[in-house]
Amino acid sequence: MIDTTLMVSGLVVGLIFGFVLQRGRFCMNSAFRDILVMKEYTLVKAVALAIVVQMIGFHLLAQMEIIQLYPKAFYWGAMIIGGFLFGIGMVLAAGCASGTTYRVGEGMMGSFVALLGLMIGGVVTSGGALKELKLYLQPTEGALKAITTDNPGPYVGNNSLTLANVFGLDPWIFVAIIAVVILAVLIWKRGSEETKVEGTLYEKIFKKGWNWWVTGIVIGIVGIMGFLAFKKYALGISGGWFGFLDALISGDLDKLNWFTFLVIGVVIGAAIAALIAGEFKLRAPDARRLLQQFIGGIIMGVGAVIGTACNIGHILSGIPQLALSSILGGTFIILGCWVTAYIMFMRG
Amino acid sequence: MSSKEKPTEVLDVRGEVCPYPDVKTQRKLKSMKSGDILEVLIDYPLSAERIPRSMEKRGHEVLKVEKKGTSEWSILIKVK
Repeated sequence: MIDTTLMVSGLVVGLIFGFVLQRGRFCMNSAFRDILVMKEYTLVKAVALAIVVQMIGFHLLAQMEIIQLYPKAFYWGAMIIGGFLFGIGMVLAAGCASGTTYRVGEGMMGSFVALLGLMIGGVVTSGGALKELKLYLQPTEGALKAITTDNPGPYVGNNSLTLANVFGLDPWIFVAIIAVVILAVLIWKRGSEETKVEGTLYEKIFKKGWNWWVTGIVIGIVGIMGFLAFKKYALGISGGWFGFLDALISGDLDKLNWFTFLVIGVVIGAAIAALIAGEFKLRAPDARRLLQQFIGGIIMGVGAVIGTACNIGHILSGIPQLALSSILGGTFIILGCWVTAYIMFMRG
Repeated sequence: MSSKEKPTEVLDVRGEVCPYPDVKTQRKLKSMKSGDILEVLIDYPLSAERIPRSMEKRGHEVLKVEKKGTSEWSILIKVK
């Protein structure tokens, strides 16, 4: 069993994260899919801003020697295939790992079914029938093995590749370039689709959906809190659910991890936010859609284990650490999302 | 703009998941005539905020967004 401090910190960070996810409608499936399907950029701007806030925060904390960065291992084949599968799955499931989790807290039964699929797909791939596939794509020897570095550079606590150590440059150079480019684009494009949120401060926080920039900054801060609390990584969703199902099946409470308490907190936090806003309702789509979401969940689970992380682990937490694995995995999550969204929503 | 305007057609997307409310609204509007009014009944918060925004961007006029109850909204859109 993990120690009580970690349990409590996971729950607390999760509660806040869930509250913010629900208020900000923060879902990466929507964020990336909408670029293509709706020509809507609101959520992707929130994602980009959260990445900038965390990138600066993580590197500051690492420079102050409060944390070390832990970029994920660069299994290039696994990142490509796992990421692409995850991207396909999240469109079918109608939500990424975090979007699905917060919508469970809103009472959406389709997301609940997708979550069951995610857990099953993940556990089957990590230790079950699909284990061989995972081992094939994450081998210790051969062409697909993780590419590592002997010189990880400052702040990095393992031998994984980052943008900085691949080029042998100071991480702050990349932090500065990426931050300036993203902020410049956000400022350039500001106001073109501003949500005009009106009302008192209470209404703006608790009753209405948040402006994208509020969501982006707060999600970034929550990610920094996550890294401070857990120390070995920032936020992650899918791994928490896999640990949850693993513990249920095996009866071994050691399978519960920090992320498990985080995701339980997310569901509760989102439910609280939805209840206050008058947006909590038990509801379900038709049978066909439920089946689609279940299958999508399974594919997401398989993809998250093969690719070693979901959208949160890679795009929200890994890219700000400049991890090459997360940049590749995140890219293929987006590609999988776009290909599937094109086929499902844009033809005919 | 008048809140008394009667909808020509009603589209009920309650229960639907992301992004079907948006996609179905868009397809429905395409099949309607200019000046017609569509009422969308919806219970999915993200789309209830996104549909007015994206339909206005497409040139349609959003007459009214009304919260009807717990996670239930009605959106009135006039076809361009």
